[in-house]
Amino acid sequence: MSTASDPQASPSAFGRPRAGLGRAAGLLAVVLAYLAATAYVAQAGLGFQSLVLVAAVFAILAISLDLVAGMLGLYSLGQGGFFGIGAYVTTILANDHGWNVFGLLLLVLVVTGLIGAAVGAMSLRISGLYFAITTFIFTLVLTVLATDMVNVTGGLQGLLGPAFPDFPEGLGWLGRPLAWCIMLALLLCLCLAWNVRRSPLYPVLLSIRDAEPFAEAAGVRTAAIKIGVFGLSAAMAGGAGWLFSFLGVVSPSQFDWSVSLNVLVMVLIGGINTTIGPVIGAMFVSMFPTVVNINPWLQEIVYGALSILAITLLPEGVVGVARRVLARSFGGSAAAVENIGPDVAPMPASLPAAAPGPDGPEILVECRGIEFGYGVGPKVLRNVDVAVRRGHIHGLIGPNGSGKSTLANVISGRLRPHAGEVLIKGLRVDGMPPSSRSRLGLRRTFQAAQLVKELTPTQNVMVGLYDRVPRIVSRAPFWPMLPSGRRDMAAMRRRAGETLGIVGAGEWAGRRVGDVPHGIEQLTQLASVYVAGPDIIVLDEPATGLSAKEVRHLAAILAHLKGQGVTMIIIEHQTRFLFPLCDRVTVLNAGEVILTGSADEVRAHPTIRQVYLGE
Amino acid sequence: MLQFILSGIAIGAIYGLVGMALAISFYVTRIINFAQGQLMMVTVMVTAELASSGFPVWLAAVAGLACSCIVGVLSYLIAVRPILMSNRFSFGWLVSTLGFAVIVENAAAYIWGPTSQAFPPILNKISLPIGDAVLTAQQLLAIATAAILAGGFEVVRRHTLFGKLGMATAADPEMASAIGANTTVVAIVAFAVSAVFAGIAGLLIGPTTFANPYLGDTFGTYGFIAMMIGGGTERPVAAMFGGLLLGICAEGANALINSQASDWFPFLVLVVILIVSPKGLFSASNPLFRPRRPMVAGN
Repeated sequence: MSTASDPQASPSAFGRPRAGLGRAAGLLAVVLAYLAATAYVAQAGLGFQSLVLVAAVFAILAISLDLVAGMLGLYSLGQGGFFGIGAYVTTILANDHGWNVFGLLLLVLVVTGLIGAAVGAMSLRISGLYFAITTFIFTLVLTVLATDMVNVTGGLQGLLGPAFPDFPEGLGWLGRPLAWCIMLALLLCLCLAWNVRRSPLYPVLLSIRDAEPFAEAAGVRTAAIKIGVFGLSAAMAGGAGWLFSFLGVVSPSQFDWSVSLNVLVMVLIGGINTTIGPVIGAMFVSMFPTVVNINPWLQEIVYGALSILAITLLPEGVVGVARRVLARSFGGSAAAVENIGPDVAPMPASLPAAAPGPDGPEILVECRGIEFGYGVGPKVLRNVDVAVRRGHIHGLIGPNGSGKSTLANVISGRLRPHAGEVLIKGLRVDGMPPSSRSRLGLRRTFQAAQLVKELTPTQNVMVGLYDRVPRIVSRAPFWPMLPSGRRDMAAMRRRAGETLGIVGAGEWAGRRVGDVPHGIEQLTQLASVYVAGPDIIVLDEPATGLSAKEVRHLAAILAHLKGQGVTMIIIEHQTRFLFPLCDRVTVLNAGEVILTGSADEVRAHPTIRQVYLGE
Repeated sequence: MLQFILSGIAIGAIYGLVGMALAISFYVTRIINFAQGQLMMVTVMVTAELASSGFPVWLAAVAGLACSCIVGVLSYLIAVRPILMSNRFSFGWLVSTLGFAVIVENAAAYIWGPTSQAFPPILNKISLPIGDAVLTAQQLLAIATAAILAGGFEVVRRHTLFGKLGMATAADPEMASAIGANTTVVAIVAFAVSAVFAGIAGLLIGPTTFANPYLGDTFGTYGFIAMMIGGGTERPVAAMFGGLLLGICAEGANALINSQASDWFPFLVLVVILIVSPKGLFSASNPLFRPRRPMVAGN
């Protein structure tokens, strides 16, 4: 992709060297403080040490859950199960078979990662509460197995974990090696979560969570990403189990369903979808029994009361509330950085220009004999033929329920026709998922805007650049550390800001989408499509909810796009807005094409005047 | 064979009642009340306490049910309502109902101590031979009560205005309140009814298990499984079928495999069922029971 890796982007990325330097120094200070604290813990007494280390292991577990629950909306209650697999595999193979513990770490990560990917694949069939319950049962079954297979697992009594190897000679002054190992692992996991949140993958993950059709239409292979992230999260939980096995006895009660629930409690109390929140929650939950040392029943009662209070008074968790308080007192300085004024440079002319063939423009999108129906009931599309030529704006009109949006979904790949063919650029695409069609240069908008409400329009538009920037997924874990990452991020942000300026939503770039008016949502959608420089755009009622002024502006944008050679299919009811733009118009009624012709032909057709224009 | 089926049905009726209790509160509020097992425990403990201090058993039982009703309504007011008010789709209820369960359970352990106490036998001493199997009258009572409650609940849900109000609240609370339903009252009644269901399950099983503050954990989990197997999240009465299936599976595994098999066999069944039909075996969305597409003439 030429523009995102544009070398001219570098000056703006380093445009504020002082701020960048200050931030780097701050980060270095935090890391040094963390290492000093680790050294202190490694030398400390056993009681304090185990308190901190158990909390740290649970913090890793909580981060692993937040990765899937916070960013993908998959509330997994299987973390306890992966945790247990890691601990048992390590203990059994190290104790009974004498395997090397570091080799076992690798094995545990791979095995739990694969099991996690399989469980994650289940999330494609079931979602929400049912996913939580299915993973809950996964943990339940593992606990029962661990309890009943007495010969292997030692039953309820459990097994004594293996010993952690000592430091090599000369490093003994560092203290207990296990403490270093656990604390560094936690730092690594924190870094990973922190990096992903600062990569372009983050808005993409949230769009999978909140607006999956939008993500798919932007070229994101949502199923693969869900499975991959779930596998990563499971491997992290398995790694936590590996660490935990060195801390003492491994027994079923440490991995049962209540542990899975407690991990979710940690994440929710600390603040879901925050980097540091899960760590705070894990510290609270795991340290509470030791710190508040009273009658065990009274202590449990206090714990229960505190967790109810925490979740009712701070529904966004400790970090969520802290963030809101900070944002209020510092007057949205973060938003000001991203805000890009309307006076921006024009779009780079890297978009493919329309190249009319020798005998008139070629056909770019074609539907042949499309048949479709939803479950039981009459067919929604019957033998629909539509051909859209390169560089044309092709209108699609018809009364409500005539099948316009269904046809848009068939073209973009959200629905699969029962019969007939869809061709894009001469290539048969029926059966191809929406994400692959996006790679062919087809983009679409939705009638009801599909956007991530808690992100800014700029971040939403960046989702649209997903398949234009190489290796977003593989670079995400290290993103802010890579020079190419910082450069691409700056370029993507600039490009998104420019595009928002062009569609006329520039002044809203720094707000949350949840706070912007409906018209701006529509324009943000359009920008997220436009930013990728597509060849074909399908627009599903783009003028709905726009004011008269905004509609005029939209018409100007679409005319400008057409001038750049973009082919468009527009579904719209406002014929006064649509007809002047269109080269061809197709009229649908009750799932059948009545007529395809120029706007004037359509206006003159007697049946259409009667059926649709109501004359 | 007959023996394990019959005793499976008897214990399954208990699981089914707890499952229905979970399903009833889920039905109206779309949350799983993790304190449901503890509501059952409250009835058992209070009944045992009052009966041992000389009150007649029926009075003790009624007082026990009343107590779990009160605790059930409290669980709604304290742990559920504030969460749903702030965000109806968050998972915060998971934390709060779990917290409530912890409070109730440990309060009971604090008051009565962690060991089991005597529970009035009710009908447990009477044995009835059926064919070559033997059931206690208590077990028969459990089966009969479960059948009556499940049937009665379904009649009320479908054929009374209040039941329909519950259905409307379940489908869309905002719409229901827009047509004038007081959704808070509907939810409070649902939690009270669910507490009564759980409490009755406690009275039926109490003579066998005795009164123990940690009773709620076990039966809460089995009730939950019963609800999931049956698909009680969509139709509360399906939880009863799930409970019966679970009971028969557990007893059958004990009789036919080995004495520990009841620990894992039901879970295996559950996993298979969830893979085949994620929303439960007796739910409306089960692919096995989904209505076929009618053939269109001339197609």
